[in-house]
Amino acid sequence: MDNPYLPAPARIEKVTIENEARDLKTFQLSFVDNERLTDIGTSDSGFPIPATRPTTRKDFLFLPGQFGFLSLSGVGEAPFGIASAPHEDRVWYTVKKVGVFTTALHELEQSVVIGMRGPYGNSYPFDLMKGKDVVIVSGGFSFTTLRSTLVHLLKPENRGDFGKITCVYGARSPGELLYKDEIRAWESSSDINLVLCVDRLDGADWPKTEGLVPNVLKKVAPSARNAVALVCGPPIMIRFTHPVLKELGFAPARVFLSLENRMKCGIGKCGRCNIGTRYVCKDGPVFSYQELLTLPPEY
Amino acid sequence: MKNRVITKKDFPKFVGRLTNQAEVYAPVQVKDKDYSRFGRIKSAEEICFSHLNTKLPVKELFFPQREVLFEFKPGEHSQAQPPPEIENRIALGVKPCDAAALEMFDRVFLDKEYPDPYYKERRDKTTLIGIACNQPGKACFCTAVNGNPHGTRGLDLLLIDLEDRYLAMPVSEKGEKLVTSYPEAAGKDLENQQELASKATKAIELSLNPKELKNLLDANFDHAVWQELSLPCVNCGVCTYLCPTCHCFDVTDEEYKGEGARIRTWDSCQFSMFTRHASGHNPRPTGKERMRNRTLHKFCYFPKTHEEVLCVGCGRCITECPAGIDLRETLQTLLQTLAPGKES
Repeated sequence: MDNPYLPAPARIEKVTIENEARDLKTFQLSFVDNERLTDIGTSDSGFPIPATRPTTRKDFLFLPGQFGFLSLSGVGEAPFGIASAPHEDRVWYTVKKVGVFTTALHELEQSVVIGMRGPYGNSYPFDLMKGKDVVIVSGGFSFTTLRSTLVHLLKPENRGDFGKITCVYGARSPGELLYKDEIRAWESSSDINLVLCVDRLDGADWPKTEGLVPNVLKKVAPSARNAVALVCGPPIMIRFTHPVLKELGFAPARVFLSLENRMKCGIGKCGRCNIGTRYVCKDGPVFSYQELLTLPPEY
Repeated sequence: MKNRVITKKDFPKFVGRLTNQAEVYAPVQVKDKDYSRFGRIKSAEEICFSHLNTKLPVKELFFPQREVLFEFKPGEHSQAQPPPEIENRIALGVKPCDAAALEMFDRVFLDKEYPDPYYKERRDKTTLIGIACNQPGKACFCTAVNGNPHGTRGLDLLLIDLEDRYLAMPVSEKGEKLVTSYPEAAGKDLENQQELASKATKAIELSLNPKELKNLLDANFDHAVWQELSLPCVNCGVCTYLCPTCHCFDVTDEEYKGEGARIRTWDSCQFSMFTRHASGHNPRPTGKERMRNRTLHKFCYFPKTHEEVLCVGCGRCITECPAGIDLRETLQTLLQTLAPGKES
């Protein structure tokens, strides 16, 4: 029988240090197995291979906004948003070194095999976004699943399905912005209006804007007409972004937030990630602001 | 399905037949303690029916307090392990409240999307023989939460103690097969049973309106009463550990001398670490939020999702609470305080 608790072996193909503080690393993973295993077999990951869980890239089907669990035998596992787009070969996770698991993960180098299971949760509402303008608001290292979203939206085959794309992405300082090469390229692209900002420029010549995300969003003032807003960031940024979006005319049903809560299983059983009746793992992590208004503020 | 009679004299033989075909678990007296717990038995003499109910609900046979999900050797090749297969089992002497709780567990662990293979294996391989409650305890309130001292929900067979004999009421085919060779019950036996059932039901005083409770809880999340209600709670978590319907768990890794395993253990929503993020932020930072979550999970969230309360009225959380918190009083306080027209 299918065992959802077993991670599949995945190899770290590349590790990128993303920020000056060196506590954010992107891990690019590939599945060790290329063919779906019909029988339970062995792996060099230290983990048993599940028979019918996604153990190959081909079977690991996801949309931006979903997450997976990374697993280190002897340390444990933890959930992270997927930072790569569905069409990219490798599965990316950008992880901040903050606790026991992430510290252990940060010590690992290229070619090490770890465990991965997923994908879990819902995604950003791409069906609803079709034919509409997309406004992305992000602060700090929460940009990961929104990178996935942007790469997905900007894919030439997909780009025509969506209207104007506006993105305000901010960090504390220039050195803390993620995926620098990519965002520099997007800054000069006509496919997207990307406004990068930092709390303090401290004399740096990039990015061009100094200011807090909500304030910058107010200045950029994207139209709410036929638009959907995706918001992900620290609680304080989210709190001050809501009034701005409201002022710009975004209805709560058109604003989507990606949430995090502590979780252990990812499949709606361990009980800890609930916000009222809803589980962040199964019913989220993406919720409309309209729905959140009906739920307790326990996130 | 026909009701049968097993005389007390024949009961050891009946148990013997069960032990011949499966691993049998029943309440057994815990040494030097004043309580019983489900344990493997080989004969009827080991069974202890003298306590109102087992200290731990029968859930521990399906969802053990600690279980190995899989083993690994760090950094080395490892044999893959399917979820362990178990022998056929019979749980004998399960109280109707604890059996009903398993059907609530099924909603969590046997959902369509991600059925839990460890739980499923144990559930599929276990036959449940219940024993009706003729004398509910002081803390019992099953009837207030859709239960019944002679209820058959979740069981394969229900035994009713009629002094010199057990009336055996089959609920499923699995249960019927176990008693087909016994004589059919007489009308008198059934009359006795009904009398006992009605007496037991009347012994429970509390009545609740779960729907009203659900709506009131839903509408009063921020009510000041939660502060007051949670004051005596010391967040020890005993109410969750002993609860037949509490299913929350933790998953951790253990390693010793090059051998490792991923372990699932019971966890409690009453603990601060249960929801604390790696960043230190905690969505339910104090006892108030945690007690409210436990109460709402059982009487508001679960009913909204599954159309029934997540409580079977076994009373363990009441008898075992070191702070003397009585869930029945809590619920009645809530109903009285939150009802429209009351000050907020």
